[in-house]
Parts: sequence; C-alpha cells; structure tokens
Amino acid sequence: MSATAGVVLGYEPFAEEERSAGRLWIEAGGSHVVPAVSAAFKSALLPAVLELRPRKDARVVVLGADTDALSPRARATLRAQLAFLPADGGLISHLNAWENIALPLGFHAPARLRGLAPEVYAMLEQFGAEPRSLLGRLPEEMTLYERKLAGYVRMRLEKPRLVLAEDPGAGLGAAERRWAAGFAAAYLADCPEGTFVQLEDVQDESG
Amino acid sequence: MIGFYRELEGSMRLAGHVLRRFWVLKLPPVAEELARQIYFTGASATATIVIRGALVGTLIIAYVIEVLNADVELAVRILLWVVLREIGPLIAAVLVIQRSGTAVATELALMKISGEVASLRHMRIDPQDLLVVPRVVGIALANTALTVYVQFIAVGGGMLLSALVIDASLGEMAGSFFLLASPLDLVYSIAKSLMFGAAIGVIASYYGLNPPGSSINAVPKAAISAVTQATLAVMLLNILFAYLVYGSALFGLFTALQ
Repeated sequence: MSATAGVVLGYEPFAEEERSAGRLWIEAGGSHVVPAVSAAFKSALLPAVLELRPRKDARVVVLGADTDALSPRARATLRAQLAFLPADGGLISHLNAWENIALPLGFHAPARLRGLAPEVYAMLEQFGAEPRSLLGRLPEEMTLYERKLAGYVRMRLEKPRLVLAEDPGAGLGAAERRWAAGFAAAYLADCPEGTFVQLEDVQDESG
Repeated sequence: MIGFYRELEGSMRLAGHVLRRFWVLKLPPVAEELARQIYFTGASATATIVIRGALVGTLIIAYVIEVLNADVELAVRILLWVVLREIGPLIAAVLVIQRSGTAVATELALMKISGEVASLRHMRIDPQDLLVVPRVVGIALANTALTVYVQFIAVGGGMLLSALVIDASLGEMAGSFFLLASPLDLVYSIAKSLMFGAAIGVIASYYGLNPPGSSINAVPKAAISAVTQATLAVMLLNILFAYLVYGSALFGLFTALQ
C-alpha cells in the first residue's frame, strides 16, 4: 500500500483483476486528465469517492485521508471540500439556472447569496454566455453547454479543494468544446491549491 | 403485507423528518419551494374548486330538503354538520390528491430516476430537506386554505339554493347559521384539513422518492400508489377525527343496537 500524504485522489481495488482494469493515484495540485475511463470503473469509483465510506472492495484516499479511518465529523468536513461535476451539469429540472447555481450556497452559506450576482455574471461571461438570457431559463430550455456551464459555476462558487469532473467537452461542438477546455484552468486560477481531475470516457473506435 | 408495513414505516419516518427538520423552511431555496408548492396546490386550484364546491353544496342541500322536507333549522344544521365539518375538508382533500398528490409523486419519481436526487446528495443537500419538507408543509397549508374556500362556496351556495327552495329568506338562514355554528366547527375542520394535507404530502413524497424500479415505467406506478394510499389515509384520518368528536355518540348507538 502506498502512503497517502500528498495524494488527492486514490482508488485501488483490492482484487488483482479489478486493479488492472482501473486504479487511480493522483498527487495534489493542478489539472489531471484520466483517459479512457470505462463505465464500469466510473460507476465503481464515483460512489466510493463521493460517499467517503469504508469499502470492502477498494482502498479509497481523498485529500490525503483514507476513507477507512474517517469519523462522521471528518467525513462531513472532507465532503465539503470535494465537488463532482457530472457531464450534463447535474442541474435540478424544476429550478432555473440562477436557482440551480445558488442552490448549494442557499443551504450551506445563505449569507453569501447577497452580492452573489456580479460574481456569477463574471463567470458566465468569462465562458461566452449571456447571463441575462441564461439565468432565468429552466434546464430543459438550455443547451448542453449552458447546462454544463451552470453546473460548473455552481461548483466554483463552493470553492472545493478537489473537483472530480466528467469530461466537460463531451457531447459539445468545436466552439463550445474550446470554452469547456478552459474550465480547469479558470478553477485553478481561482483556487491555486485545488486539484481538477477530469475523467474522460472510453472513445468508441468503431466509428 | 410486509410491503405495506415497509411503506407505512417509510411514510412515518418521512413525517418524522418533516417535524424534526421544520427549521429548514427558513433557508432561501426551501422557502422558494414552499411558495411554489402553495401556489400550485392552493392558488392555481381555486378555479376548479369553486365549481365543485358550489355544486356539491347545493346538491346536498337540494337533495336533503327534498327528501326530508326540511325547515330552516334542519337545512342549516345539515349545512353545518355535513358540508362544513365533513364534505368541505373531503372535497378539498380529494382535489389535492388528484392534482398535487399525483404531481408530487410523478415529479419526485422522475427526479429520482434521472439522477437529480443523487445530484442533490453530491451537493451535500438532503433531498428530503429540499423536496419533502416544503411539499408537505405547502400541501398542508394550501389544503387548509382550499377547505375554507370550499366551505365558504358550498355553504354560501347551499344557503342561496335553500332560500329559493324552502320558504325562508337568505337573511333568516344566515342568522340561523351563525347562531348554530361555533368556532369549534372551524377549528375542527382546520385541524382535519392540516392533517389531511400533511398526510397527502408525506405519502406522495414517499412514493415519489421510492419508485418501484429505475425505468420510466416506475413513474406512473409511483403516482398510482400515491393516489391510492393517500385516499385511504384521508379516509382513515376522517374516521379517526369522527371518532374523536362523535365517539361517545357512536358508542351509544352501537350499545343501543346491541
């Protein structure tokens, strides 16, 4: 077993055959791309990392802490520093873009809601969106890129130390893909001590 | 049978969560959900309920007056006992089950299946705090407001019709009504409506958050279960309330029959 100091995200299945299929051991800081992540590996990795509970099938390390040894309080503290950015933005369908973006802060830091608008406007404009037209729309009225962007802005407002993101460029056209490619750099400019881990899906080579 | 107990336990747990976490209503996103729910269940349902309430109120009065050849006092007593205490809360509850019960169960089941509930957990938000607490409280409050509205429409409609059918003026009927009615009647129906609304909210939320599968087919099943069980719960609560209020009279009737 490797030491956990300096490891921001570690996932090692105990079974030898599963370990060869997929394992992660990522050092803290910067942006990391994990290529060719299979659906099976992702469906094992994400709950293990996001739930931060002891696992029988794998060793999981998040932000230097082994999830086997976490007290409930430590787990809650650690969870607050971890964010997940799904490929579709993970928006709530009956809330408009603004309500979606403000949702976590409304629960965890309501005082920050006051004066939030300029920060949100700046982030949206940074990535080519028109805030006035976007913020009042429901997810079903938004493009995939806009949904991803709203989810990204929501994540950034929480200032997590570790971001686990499904490929932000997946399913986008060339222009939007270029915008989405800047997500990691903008996050790291905002949180220099943070780590952005991007999980890229296995490419279909048949076509 | 085991499934029934599991569902009952789950609903009770959900009700306990609502009582324990009532304070989350002060958080901005939850307060917005509450306002949305009250608007949907209450305000947007008033047009439908006006027609139903007036129809039912006048139908009951017309029928009873015709069959019993009632005078002013009997007509008013019937309005008071049947419409104000029983029919008013039941009409509102049935309407709320049809509209909001199905809507809540369907919406939550879709959210669960599409991964939105998981998405809330990823944001460290308890889905029950955001989705269940405001819906249960909102439905309970809106159902109470609708009940008062139904009572007003049904009693008003009933009195108007009675004044036309029997030999009594509207003023005479209204005077009789206010003489016989007590504030306890209103307290009774409000308490009942709050319980009905809360039960509908809890049951619809429970079935919505626990759809019987992860495919889209589970959504209508969740809605059907919610409607069926919420209707059953409202009927049982009505019996419970009736027993609490008229319990001794009913007991006396049974004893006399024996």
